[in-house]
Amino acid sequence: MGILEVFIVFFCGLAMLLIGMPIAVVMVGLGVFGGVVMFGAPFINSIGNVVWGVQNENILTAVPLFVLMGEILLRSGVADRMYGALSIWLGRLPGGLLHTNVGCCSLFAATTGSSLATAATIGTVALPALNERGYPKPQALGSLAAGGTLGILIPPSIALLIYGSLTNNSISQLFVAGIIPGMLLTGLFMLYIAAAHAVSGGGRRDVRVPSWEERWRSLGGLIPPLVIFVIVMGSIYFGIATPTESAALGVLTALVFAAVERKLSFAMLHTAFQHTAQLTGMILLIIVGAFILNLTLSLLGVAQLMTKWVVSFDLSLTALLFVMIGFYLILGCFLEVLSIQVATIPIAYPIVTAVNGDPIWFGIFIVLMSEIAMITPPVGMNLYVVQGVRPDGGPISEVMRGTLPFVLIMLVFTILMIAFPEIALWLPRQMKGT
Amino acid sequence: MQAISALLGRIFGYMCLALSVLVSAETIMRKAFDVSLQGADELGGYTLAVASSLAFSVALIGRNHMRIDLVHFLLPKAAQAMLNWLAIVSIAAFAGLLAWTAYDIVADSIEYHSTAPTPWATPLVYPQSLWYAGLATFAVVSAILAVRATAYLLKGRIEALSIAFSPKASAEQLGEELAAVRSRATEQVGKAAE
Repeated sequence: MGILEVFIVFFCGLAMLLIGMPIAVVMVGLGVFGGVVMFGAPFINSIGNVVWGVQNENILTAVPLFVLMGEILLRSGVADRMYGALSIWLGRLPGGLLHTNVGCCSLFAATTGSSLATAATIGTVALPALNERGYPKPQALGSLAAGGTLGILIPPSIALLIYGSLTNNSISQLFVAGIIPGMLLTGLFMLYIAAAHAVSGGGRRDVRVPSWEERWRSLGGLIPPLVIFVIVMGSIYFGIATPTESAALGVLTALVFAAVERKLSFAMLHTAFQHTAQLTGMILLIIVGAFILNLTLSLLGVAQLMTKWVVSFDLSLTALLFVMIGFYLILGCFLEVLSIQVATIPIAYPIVTAVNGDPIWFGIFIVLMSEIAMITPPVGMNLYVVQGVRPDGGPISEVMRGTLPFVLIMLVFTILMIAFPEIALWLPRQMKGT
Repeated sequence: MQAISALLGRIFGYMCLALSVLVSAETIMRKAFDVSLQGADELGGYTLAVASSLAFSVALIGRNHMRIDLVHFLLPKAAQAMLNWLAIVSIAAFAGLLAWTAYDIVADSIEYHSTAPTPWATPLVYPQSLWYAGLATFAVVSAILAVRATAYLLKGRIEALSIAFSPKASAEQLGEELAAVRSRATEQVGKAAE
């Protein structure tokens, strides 16, 4: 077994994904094929233990709980009120409502964890208002598409959970490591908007200045996401709870807010359950498939083989990471977040750690790359979602044009993170008990 | 099928909810009163094993198992139909494999009276049987769907096959989400009118 075979199998897998085979099936198909070819029928017998091991993993229990928490906040309309509140507070900055887009997207995506729901909700509310006030269209659309990607970086993040479970790293540390990069990236997006606004002068300011009474009242809409964030991340940061426990606390808190809003009903709960089950089933089946493939990869020593091969080029960590950025940019054009993660992490992770890359830092790096994948055509889910929400039905090229500067910002930010790894690593080092 | 999906979805949801209550109670008691109920994380693992197995079927019936549709909708109708058939049949094969290997695990646990390496020393046969039941349901549901798809294919009902088994296009998912946003908005307007 050599490098060539690994590449052939990888591209076969890629081809199967692209013709539309279910992602989980591609993973397990390659795993079982490779395992049975190399080890014969006894390989099948070892699958059962792997599957039970994955599904019985308490860490992964956080996946359905975080999804459920987001669903309850979403279906009960608690998350909807955030936009109104943020627009009152951020609407007067240069760039106006566009800041509201970015701020709201990051907050909304972080609490609900769904970029689809984020773009649908924020887009529905925001785009008509933005058109009315004459904001430049590509920028308005781009800020929505890019803002929606922040949710997979800002914790609680399912993407980081999956990375942690695939690589056996502390989810708590990964979550905490995502906070500062998430906030910095949001800040950079806003800076860009303000700068672009100063240059183009596009978009009238909000003519009406909200009164202070209105402002204070609007803050009520921001309480739920902030409380959720403090409970979930606070309990993790101070070592009070494991991610699964904090997810459980998050679910109960979300229920309380839904009750306060008088939206707590069996109908609402059952809708949230159904969506949570659909999403959990999809994610977990892919993870099960990925672990079966991992079993084959580790039995065959593929990771060691690839690591040896890459190390033989004698690249520095920085050079290697730049090669990876290129690789992920190309892959990100064709795959979406989950498939990128499960297809690349098992190989990329041992390579990077072999040249002394930090495992936690690399998790943030992968998630940044996945964020870019969400907004790079032809397969960039967020582009299509924003295009689907816009009321004026213009060409999708406008969305892509507006998103491009944000992609560049993300790339610059990635390079900054390579130069200053502390951006991601400082906060987790301050954590209690580490 | 929709009724089965709704039922499984509810069982899944209430399991998650019950677990949340239990785990929260455990966490608060442990921190506030230094009393540990022990085993909440063990229970969390079992809950995930059973609930996620049920969720596999829910996701299958809702066509949520993710497929990349970059090329799919550009292909000729006949090729689309073939791929859709292949997708559901391959999922059924995967589900069959899961149920089959899970059965061996349960059989072993019964034979060796295996217990969990935890303070509870749970006889593994209980959680594993439920887990197996979930996976067996997934296998049966996917087999029924695969047979249905095969029947469509043999009868040449390509249109029907694609309607029932094509990957969920982003436009369709978005439509569902937008409908949800609108219904929340009208609710709020209705409330304001009261």
